Amino acid sequence: MAHRILIIDDEEDIREVAALSLETVAGWEVMMASSGAQGLARAIDYQPEAILLDVMMPGMDGPTTFLELRKNPATAHIPVLLLTAKVQSSDQRRFADLGVNAVLFKPFDPLTLSTQIAGVLGWN
Amino acid sequence: MDSAPQPSMAEALDRMWSRFLPQIEERLAVLDAAAAAAGNGLTPDQLSQAREAAHKLAGVLGTFGLASGTVLARQIEALYSPPNSPGLLLPSQLIGLSTQLRALVENRNQAGALPTSYTLKK
Repeated sequence: MAHRILIIDDEEDIREVAALSLETVAGWEVMMASSGAQGLARAIDYQPEAILLDVMMPGMDGPTTFLELRKNPATAHIPVLLLTAKVQSSDQRRFADLGVNAVLFKPFDPLTLSTQIAGVLGWN
Repeated sequence: MDSAPQPSMAEALDRMWSRFLPQIEERLAVLDAAAAAAGNGLTPDQLSQAREAAHKLAGVLGTFGLASGTVLARQIEALYSPPNSPGLLLPSQLIGLSTQLRALVENRNQAGALPTSYTLKK
């Protein structure tokens, strides 16, 4: 089954490699957004089955974007996986406390990213 | 990971590496400039730019198979982050780490690299 994923990340290289990975390895459909604001709009229009959301973005960062997604009835139900390069345990606790479905770490492995996501969301 | 990556994926990653190399080199240049200026004290802007460049490199290099590049970039990011004081940064250490990081990137350009799972776990 071709799952539909929205990737929100301001870094084009990360966005493109993640999309390549999910499309090529898993055969999923991927939509991308380069900012939190664009991501909110795309999430409403596209209704993805899950959102991969970068933490550190200029303007609306990942945690703020997540809270906005949860506030909106049109997106509140969509699982969100945070993607971060922060490795300190205090950061990890803070992100987990937000109530996201999972926190994934950069660098990710393009060959196993889809397996990681599927495992978290019970898509196996 | 027990097997090498699918050729199509490895080739696609190589193409992306070439496409995004200018961006990676820009970030390396930010680190080089900060390391060179560290002896005279960095401005808050320089410090923040260096920290951000290192953070972004840490996030992306391993994805392209350069796990050791991620480790080096994280070391650099930590040096530019609190509680380290900008006035106490050692230029020789920063230059050394930036030089090592640049060499890793240049080696990948020459030799190619395998995705992270292969290089880390094989």
